[in-house]
Formats: sequence, C-alpha cells, structure tokens
Amino acid sequence: MMDEMMNNKMNEMMNKKKLNKKTIASIKAYLFLAPFLLVFSTMVIYPIGLGVKLSLYGQRGARMWYIGLQNFATVFRDSKFWESFRIPLFLLTVQVPLMLFIAVLIAFLYEKTEKRGGKFYRFIYYLPNTIPGIVTGIVWSYIFSDSMSPFRTVIDLLGYSGTKILTRQHLPSILLVIILWAFTGYTAFVIYSSLIAIPKAFSEQAQLDGATFWQIAFRIKLPLLRGVLISLFIFNAIGAIQVFNEPWMLGQLVVLPSNYTPAMYIYNSAFAQGRFTYAAAMGLILALITFLISLYVLRSATKQMLTGESH
Amino acid sequence: MRKHTWTKLIMLILAVYFIFPFYWLIIGTTKNVGQLFQKSLLPGVPSHFLENVSGVFTYEKGIFFNWLANSFLYAVLGAFIAIFIACMAGYAFRRYDFYGKKALFIIILGFAMVPVYATTLPLFMLFRDLQLINSRFAVLLPSFVHVFGVYLMVAYWNQVPEELFNAAQIDGANDLLIFFRIGLPNIIPGFITLFLLSFVGIWNNFFLPLVVINSRAKMPLILGITTITDPQGFPVYNLTLTSSFFAILPLLILFIALQRYFKPQVYTGR
Repeated sequence: MMDEMMNNKMNEMMNKKKLNKKTIASIKAYLFLAPFLLVFSTMVIYPIGLGVKLSLYGQRGARMWYIGLQNFATVFRDSKFWESFRIPLFLLTVQVPLMLFIAVLIAFLYEKTEKRGGKFYRFIYYLPNTIPGIVTGIVWSYIFSDSMSPFRTVIDLLGYSGTKILTRQHLPSILLVIILWAFTGYTAFVIYSSLIAIPKAFSEQAQLDGATFWQIAFRIKLPLLRGVLISLFIFNAIGAIQVFNEPWMLGQLVVLPSNYTPAMYIYNSAFAQGRFTYAAAMGLILALITFLISLYVLRSATKQMLTGESH
Repeated sequence: MRKHTWTKLIMLILAVYFIFPFYWLIIGTTKNVGQLFQKSLLPGVPSHFLENVSGVFTYEKGIFFNWLANSFLYAVLGAFIAIFIACMAGYAFRRYDFYGKKALFIIILGFAMVPVYATTLPLFMLFRDLQLINSRFAVLLPSFVHVFGVYLMVAYWNQVPEELFNAAQIDGANDLLIFFRIGLPNIIPGFITLFLLSFVGIWNNFFLPLVVINSRAKMPLILGITTITDPQGFPVYNLTLTSSFFAILPLLILFIALQRYFKPQVYTGR
C-alpha cells in the first residue's frame, strides 16, 4: 500500500513536470512567434475578415448598410464580372499548357547542353523573370505599339500597312507572347532542377538498351516530373486568374474595358466607381474560385497518382 | 553532329526571343522620341542617352530620386524585417514542441496562398480609418508579413542539425543566446535567399502602392515610372523607357552578382 501510494505520488510529480516542460516550451515558442503573429493577424487575418464583413454591406458613397448576401447575388448576375474571366480562361487553356510544354522541352535541352554552354542559356532564359511585370508590360507594349514597333516596317513591307498591331483584337495573342516570355525560362529552370535530381540509374539501363535521348526523356523521365508539373500548373493557373499588371500596362496604349480581367474589374469597381463593398464581394468570389481550382487540380492529380501509377 | 546543330539552333532562336526586349530597351534609352518613332533596331545616332538620363533626373524637380529612395526604403527595410520575423517564427517551430503547434502550422500554410486582391482592398479601408493612407507605413506594414517565408524558414531550420542546439544547451546557454549565436549563423544562406526573394517582391510590388499611395513623392520607382507624362497627360516614351531601365538595373545587378541565391522556390509563382 505504501509502495502504491509512493508510485502514485511519483507519477503525479512526473506528470506535473511534463506539463511544466511543455508549458515552458510554449511560452518560449510564442515569444519567438509573437512578432509574426502580430503582423499576420493585423495584415492578413484582419483584412480578410474585414473583406468578408464589407461584402455583406450595401454602399452608396460613405453610407453603408447591412444587406446580407445580396452583393453575392448581384455578382452572380453580373455579366461584366463573368465576361472578365475570358482572358484568364484563355491564359489557362492556351498559355499555361503551352508554356509547360515548351518549358519541358527547354529543360531537356538544358540537360543535353549541361556541359556545352548550357549555363549561358539558362542564365539568358531566366533573365525575363527578374523583370517586374510593369516594366515587362511597358517595354513589350512599346515593342508592339504601332508608333515604335520594329515589326511595323516588316508588316508594311509585306503589304499589311493598313493593319494595326496593337489592337484589342490582337491583345490576347500579344499577352500570350509577353507572358510566355516572362515565365518560360523560370519554369524551365524549376523543371530542370527536378530533372537533374532523377537518379542516373533510371536512364542508364535504357541507354544500354539503345534508347535515344528523347525516348528516355519522354518515356522515363517525364512521368517522374509529374509532381513538379502539377505544382507549376497550379501556380500559373492562380497567376492567370489574378493577372493584372501586364494588361494594365497594355491598357495605357490600347483602350480596354474596365472588366478586361477579373482583377482589373475589382480594382476599377472599387477605385474608379467607388463600389468598395461590391468589389469586396467579388474579391472573395475570386479567391474562392482560385482555391477551388487549386483543390481540383491537386485532387485529380492525387487520384491519378493513386490509381494510375505503375512502373 | 546534326543533332547538336538542331539543339544549338533552337536554343539560339529562343535566346534571341528572350534577350530581344532587353536589347530594345537598352538601345531605346539612347533615343529621343523622334528616333523611337523611326522604329530602327540600331542604337540612336546621335545618341540621346545623356539627354534622356538628365530628362529623367530633372523630371518634376528630381522626383525620380524620391522614387528610388522609396523603393530602397520599402524593399530593404521591408525584406529585412519580414525575413527576420519569419526566421524567429520558423525557429519556434523547429525548436519547441508547444501547444497548438500543428494547428498553427496548418493555419499559416493555408493563408500562404491568399490572393493579394483579397487583402489589399480591406487594407485600404483599414489604413483609411487609421489615417495611414498615403503614408509610407501603408506600404511598409503589409510587407512585414511574409507568410510563405515562414514555411520556407521552417524547412531551412529543419536542416540545422539537432546536435548544435543540444551542445549549446548542455553548456548552459539560454534560448536567446542559442538563437543568436548558434541558430542565426547556421541559417544565413536561407536567410539571404529569402531576403532576396522578399526584396525583389517588394521592389516590384505595384498593386499595393497603387492602391494606398496618392502623392507621387511617396511612390516606389515601379509605380512612379508609370506616371511620367507630359503636360497633356500623354506618356513620354523615351523618359519612361530610360526610367524603366533604371528601375530594373538594381535587380539585374543583384541577379548577376548573387545568382546562386536566386534558386527558384516552386511555390512562388508570380
């Protein structure tokens, strides 16, 4: 009996000590976390909460009144909002797959030229990614502008002196050229980084069996890059949906409607029309759509990985 | 040999595509507007580079230098504080088993991908209520939070071997000392990489200043160069090009000098 009591007492003391240890650790941890948690809660959490609250209010000038989910109902019926998704959709279905395809090819070319001057090309191709989207937009809009474009002379020579280059009609294709220019090199480098991590053993056997470089590339290595490609697709998809800087700069030289892209429509609604609460609602919907697309891509990719993989 | 020729040819064509705008920008800085309208692919003859530079420097009584100083202030201060804060947070996750650790990590991860448009509008309203609109704090404060940086910092901290910390603890060092004397020196490569990431991000950030800054004197360079207009409000092409060149020059220098720290992190898309 005495032994039992002593054991119980000892366990009690040890449990108290464990609790103390974790509590002490927690205090220390939260001290280190404090600055981050402070800015995080004020600059991220609070604005999101405020955005949600704002979206539930109607607005006229400085007056705001609670209207529940009415803003969202209006957004769903707002054709201007949904039409603004044309450009992101175009980018999503054309630019992103095209860019990934080209980037994969380039990544393999990087592998091929690894020892023969590849470093120079990797550097050059990466350079566009170091330039802010605004400057990219400025320079490319000038390059395509009818007053300054070097292409103008070529086009005139070919007999098309009547056709203008920088028109709203041509803008999607122009955007395509610009965005491909800005991100392909970076994307190729990311793929390349994963590529060189693939153990040589995978390709050595195939090489001995007589497979060519490109056969090995597409049959053996490409499937192994699936994870990287999926991540890249998601992040570029998110970027495509939120695209703002490049169209904005092009809009300085070509007349574009206020709803050319979702982000532009949100910005213009808030600051050109003063409809802050409406813009807040649209912002939330945009965030939701972005989230859903990421989720969808991740899930279908995971499903494929769980059911389709077989070496 | 034929295979190699194709490879070289394709890579050369691509190189021209990627380098062309840089070339066009640089020769553009040597031209005045008239020469730009001539659309030639050669540098301006005679070169108006010096006139363009002085035009940019004297535009609106030298507001260019305000923009430049602002960009440096926002980027250097913002990046340093952001990454230092992220560093401390990552350290907490690495070293301590604390209450709410898992939940907090998931929350942080979840918010790492919040689109900037969801937060910028409410931030505008918040700053308006705090009367911080058009103040430099409106640009600085949001830049102090680098959510994804915390996630990356945790990864970097995880690479620091446990033995280093244990050895210091056995020697009786207190936690602060361990953080500053043992921890920080071992995380310098990661710190620099993230600092550069944050620096470039803040330097290039257009949307936030566009929303919260009104007066040109407080604009960062990236925003200022889009406001270069003649008295009628039309953009002045040669000055815009020249100032754009100056806007990207620090980035190019950083990139060329510190290439190895620019290894891309997959999750940082745009």
